[in-house]
Amino acid sequence: MDIFFVLTNAITVACIYGLIAIAVSITWSSLGLINLAYGFVFTFAGYGAWLVAQHINDHPALIAAAGIAMGAAAGVLVCLVVFIPLHDKPNFTTRGMIATLAISLIGSQSFLMFFGPRPKSLPELFGFWTLDLFGVRLTSDKIGIVVCSALMLFLVVRWMRGSRRGLEIRAMMMNPHAASIVGIGIRSTGIYVMAVTGAMGGLASVLLSQTYYIAPFNGLTPLIKGVSIALCGGLGSVQGAVIAAILLGLVEALTNEFLGGQYVLMTQFLFIIAVLVVRPRGISGLLDKAREQ
Amino acid sequence: MTTQKSDYTWINPLAAWGTATGNQSAPSVEVPDIRENWDKATGYKVPTYKVGRLKHYIIWPNHGEKLWTRWRWWPTRRNMLHVTGIYNRKTAIAEKKILDRRPVYWLLCMAFLAIAPLLFPSNMQNTLLTAGTIFGIFAAINVCWTLIIGTASIFSLASYAVVGTAGFLTSWLSITYGVPWYVLPVIGSVVGLVFGLAIALPALRLDGFYYALLTLGLNELCRVFFTTSREFGSASGGLYGADSFISEAWDPMVQSHVGYYTSLLLLLAALSLFRLINGKRLGRILRMAPEKREAFAAACGVDYKRARIVIFLITSVALGFIGGFYAAQYRGVAFSIFSFDTVLLGLAMLAIGGIGKAEGAVLGTLVVVFLDKVLLDWGPMRHFMIGALMLAAVLFLNNGYFGIKRQFNAWREKKRGEWRSARTEKGGEALPEEATEIDDKDQLYFRRFDKIQRDYLKTLITPEIIEEHRRQPLGQHSEALERVLLYFRRTKMEDKYALHRAGPEGPYKIIAFSGQRGVSPRLVDDREYATVDEGYHAVFMRRVHDLMES
Repeated sequence: MDIFFVLTNAITVACIYGLIAIAVSITWSSLGLINLAYGFVFTFAGYGAWLVAQHINDHPALIAAAGIAMGAAAGVLVCLVVFIPLHDKPNFTTRGMIATLAISLIGSQSFLMFFGPRPKSLPELFGFWTLDLFGVRLTSDKIGIVVCSALMLFLVVRWMRGSRRGLEIRAMMMNPHAASIVGIGIRSTGIYVMAVTGAMGGLASVLLSQTYYIAPFNGLTPLIKGVSIALCGGLGSVQGAVIAAILLGLVEALTNEFLGGQYVLMTQFLFIIAVLVVRPRGISGLLDKAREQ
Repeated sequence: MTTQKSDYTWINPLAAWGTATGNQSAPSVEVPDIRENWDKATGYKVPTYKVGRLKHYIIWPNHGEKLWTRWRWWPTRRNMLHVTGIYNRKTAIAEKKILDRRPVYWLLCMAFLAIAPLLFPSNMQNTLLTAGTIFGIFAAINVCWTLIIGTASIFSLASYAVVGTAGFLTSWLSITYGVPWYVLPVIGSVVGLVFGLAIALPALRLDGFYYALLTLGLNELCRVFFTTSREFGSASGGLYGADSFISEAWDPMVQSHVGYYTSLLLLLAALSLFRLINGKRLGRILRMAPEKREAFAAACGVDYKRARIVIFLITSVALGFIGGFYAAQYRGVAFSIFSFDTVLLGLAMLAIGGIGKAEGAVLGTLVVVFLDKVLLDWGPMRHFMIGALMLAAVLFLNNGYFGIKRQFNAWREKKRGEWRSARTEKGGEALPEEATEIDDKDQLYFRRFDKIQRDYLKTLITPEIIEEHRRQPLGQHSEALERVLLYFRRTKMEDKYALHRAGPEGPYKIIAFSGQRGVSPRLVDDREYATVDEGYHAVFMRRVHDLMES
């Protein structure tokens, strides 16, 4: 097997999972909510994009926009159902986590009821063409996935750095109590955060469906991978998540090359455990309490 | 305020003796009944509701002699029930009440579970027995899991992974090497211990939710490993063929009954383990060190980390035992034990009943297993219902079903405080917050009484009594004026008005006492009064003015 082929594969997949990891990371650090409903957001956006492709138009831009919009809608839904009623209640972190898990359970069962167990596939978004870069053959979908996720990440980071809302979110990340004292609404910020992170999940869903199918229970693997990357990089840190995504992609590629595909999860988890034992709050997480909740 | 008649004329009673000089009679106001005023002023104008806090204990008859002869756990002196002996206040008869009735309820529930197979309807017998067996095993797992999440506060989601790993390894050993069924739980315990040691290592370093997410990943890792490995057979959806204590030669009904009662025994064993750990030294140590107060507990000399790890390891051994038992019960394990849905259902069981309580784990398991295994013809709706129940429990209840009582009591306390503060009237009285700061509660009652009295006296101040006072400041007055003057005379020395005679024959000036010994009175204003009666009336007018202003 060609190492470059494996490497490009790993980078492509890492881009998608990295999007979810960053979404998990931003949600945790700004809202204090461990959102395990990204699997639901993921599937919701996938089915939304599929419905648009089936019934309206299968123009790639429209499908991608539909996926992003549906992801944002699912994120807002989770925010309305879980974050807003629970954020000032006792045991918020545990209850929030269990509530998001409940949403993912309800969500996957509803998808099963409405759409049936048969997987659905989205049309190709990026066409069929290849690019020869320094002797490495890159297919259109890989380039498209990398470019799209990088663009999304760039836009989100830009928005968080440059806009008023982004300033509010960053203030919430630093100190939620002080942020609420100076007049930043926790609930409204919650809705922005969940909409943006949901949009990231929705884009990841559309991108991943270039490789895999959309099925009721398919949100789980991206969720677990995303959460692992977020953990490894340090919850609350965007650059940590990027580093972790690249490192875990490398581990996956190397394992595939030298040990074999069935050991990928094992080596990845050993790697994560090793990282966490050395740095309990991830690669670039702060060592002290990052968030008082 | 306007109950007095304007044409009321007061007759001086002293006039009969001729001693009333100058005021035989005076136009005055009739004094309203002060008792009516008192009732009106002290009555609540806000509707009040009777909200009781009675504990409806069942009171049992007792005998003074029997009070100290109680059933005890041999050979300790612990009582079986927390009973207190009391004497009835009215009849002086000896009575007793059970303060903690939970052991009685546990016993009743267990007895019900023991006789439940006799009560199952015959057409559902098989389904219910299968569900009951699953309930016993899952409740045992959840009780152990409660020990980890609740008592040890390690948010591990890998409990089912431990059970599954132990089950798979023991089944594989039994199939490959013919290990008999009674060894499987023991081997399972060893597997559980090794697994527990391996995942306890990160628990030492990571806290809370990092660990939860990591164990969620570990669970997925186990699933992928066992479903893809060659030894553990990926074709049949699980690994089957282990030795079992349920002989296949028996009648199917007998097999179901044996399965039901053995899993019930397993549940009993798990509950006693819970009692032994949570109710004894380890549990008490950890109750001293709840989340976010670990530093305090450590400063008190509690080695909470060690206690947590010990509990984690003991529980892992127990989970491994359950895994081996599971393999011996069902002749193997299915891959579904590792699936994300199993973890979700397990969390649903804990969340519905309440995390941290054995009764919560058992009740939650009962509800979820009933929905999942008995109402089979509901299809995907079952898991939807479970998810909705879980969501509702988490959204509306602080700690599941068994936390309702405490949550309701806290809510009622809050509401009661709100109603109390809504009823409080302000003005001259102390605010509730202020009242708690004042040590001398007489002060509070005085302020309340004084306000009522001032409100009442204000209604008596009319031109008639002012005119009466102007005509004759001293001597017998009508009742209304007399009441007003008595109140004025009784005021405290601080800022009390007096007359100062500037020369031997006058004029008079109004001064106010300082109320402090050695501090001279102050002159109120420069106005001078030629006669003492004019001075008295001026002081009276000042006091009337102050009263109407207050």
